[in-house]
Amino acid sequence: MITQRPMCDVAVIGAGPAGLTAASELAESGRDVVVLDEQGAPGGQIYKGVEKVVADRPQDIGLLGKEYVAGKALTRRFRQSGAQYHPGVSVWQITSDQEPELALGLLQNGSAQMLHPKHVILATGAMERPTPFKGWTLPGVMTVGAAQTLLKSSRLLPEDDVVLAGTGPLLYLYAAQLASFGIRPQAILDTRPSMSLRAARLGLSALTACPKTMLAGMKWLWNARVRVNMVRGVHSLKAQGEDHLSSVSYETRGRRHELSTSLLLTHDGVIPNTWLSMSAGIRHHFDSAQSCWVPDIHGAGSTSRDCISIIGDGARIGGAAVAALQGERVAYEVDAYLRTQHRAMVTTESRALRRQRQLRRFLDCAFPPTADFQLPADETIVCRCEEVSAGEIRQVAARGCMGPNQGKAFTRCGMGPCMGRKCALTVSQVMADARGVSVGEIGHYRIRSPIRPITVGQLADMALVSGED
Amino acid sequence: MFRLRTHSTDPVTFSFEGRRLTASRGDTIAAALLGSGVFIFRNSPVSSSPRAPFCMIGNCYECFVRVEAMGVVQACLTEITEGMKISKVSNLIDESETGIKESSKR
Repeated sequence: MITQRPMCDVAVIGAGPAGLTAASELAESGRDVVVLDEQGAPGGQIYKGVEKVVADRPQDIGLLGKEYVAGKALTRRFRQSGAQYHPGVSVWQITSDQEPELALGLLQNGSAQMLHPKHVILATGAMERPTPFKGWTLPGVMTVGAAQTLLKSSRLLPEDDVVLAGTGPLLYLYAAQLASFGIRPQAILDTRPSMSLRAARLGLSALTACPKTMLAGMKWLWNARVRVNMVRGVHSLKAQGEDHLSSVSYETRGRRHELSTSLLLTHDGVIPNTWLSMSAGIRHHFDSAQSCWVPDIHGAGSTSRDCISIIGDGARIGGAAVAALQGERVAYEVDAYLRTQHRAMVTTESRALRRQRQLRRFLDCAFPPTADFQLPADETIVCRCEEVSAGEIRQVAARGCMGPNQGKAFTRCGMGPCMGRKCALTVSQVMADARGVSVGEIGHYRIRSPIRPITVGQLADMALVSGED
Repeated sequence: MFRLRTHSTDPVTFSFEGRRLTASRGDTIAAALLGSGVFIFRNSPVSSSPRAPFCMIGNCYECFVRVEAMGVVQACLTEITEGMKISKVSNLIDESETGIKESSKR
């Protein structure tokens, strides 16, 4: 572990395109950089297992697509940059601005430790937007991202009866990847609305700005439409089965249909993973264009706390290209902060970044979150851990519950081991809807450290170690 | 669910609920179990409903399993190792480890 050096210039949390680029930049310029990664190897979710695939299964690289290959150069540069890499490390705490010193609480192989960096870069990436519907806790129901992770890291392929449901670029990319591995899903139950005039207009400017990405995306969609049974206008999804998924039912054009399957993969786009940034007391707001909570960002990655920057999808969903560009830019801000102890801001934006923004505006408009998943039916479980339904949330809201935090006391919603990661957004939306206010007004769960489960024993052991120092 | 993995160039032997299974070195426990046809990882503490990995990136905590000598771990973030003895978890607190009985569930 990091016993020999509990201090460093910069701690980067997360090793996806944002974290790896920022760490490489800063380490190459001579800064002492430590990268803390919950995963076992660099690459984040998008380039998950890329080093292993290059070394052990080179034949798969082409099948996973061009977007995945980009991870090869990124991880190679990082490995040569001089940054220290610590895989399998969970960060369970960032000290608040009320405390005398910036410190991170780490957990690795069951032992806890503190690290004292001068600056922290959060590059914690995205997580999939919750997709609550009746039966979504049944074994056999997973996210598309989960299945893609299994494909990248372990080459696990679904059986041919697999059904995909929802919408978002990742769903169509995964379907295209399955096609290249010779698998044709039984169906794609597409919940996407038909394209609006505004989306079409934004699509045209995105096509001029990022033609390669747009064409790749159109190819994925084309593949899904031509090679797979794609059902449009799907709503009222239900997963059925005793101990395990046995069938999926859905409605389209006023009629209910049913498919037998043992695996249903859902997806509804991604949202920033803000658990660390919220627990650090950084200011956030509800971003209505992306329908999710995002930290307030100025410049490349400056936040309301001078010693903490946020980049990549954890700052706002922008995709891998934006994450890498922000990683480059934030290095200047962090370097200036380390020299002057004052926050600096990079305000100029490269053409590449402006082009990516045009692409994102189109994607946000063309693949909006699915209405059914945003405001699920009463009987749908919202909090998977404590098994609290949307109906219970509506009931407490109707009785006068002020918001998600008070709701915890009445329902235990959001108080299980996932600490609200899989229900926070849904609960805020359902409560805001029930009370007739905006999601921004109703607020978000208050996130407190430890943001990862840690035992009292692990904490006590850490105190003993540092007491002996 | 997932295609069963029939062969591996670098196999690891482990057990789940006493069943001997094999996986590939470097797999996470979650991938090892799903690739061996294990569908149910645990039962929920609230209603005992069956659960299995959902997000695979460490956020949903649905993939909790108990590993001998390690305790309760997230199967999607923990690498499988030779001889690992894995079992289902129904109560997150292990009475034998803590000596505390969990209070009654609602």
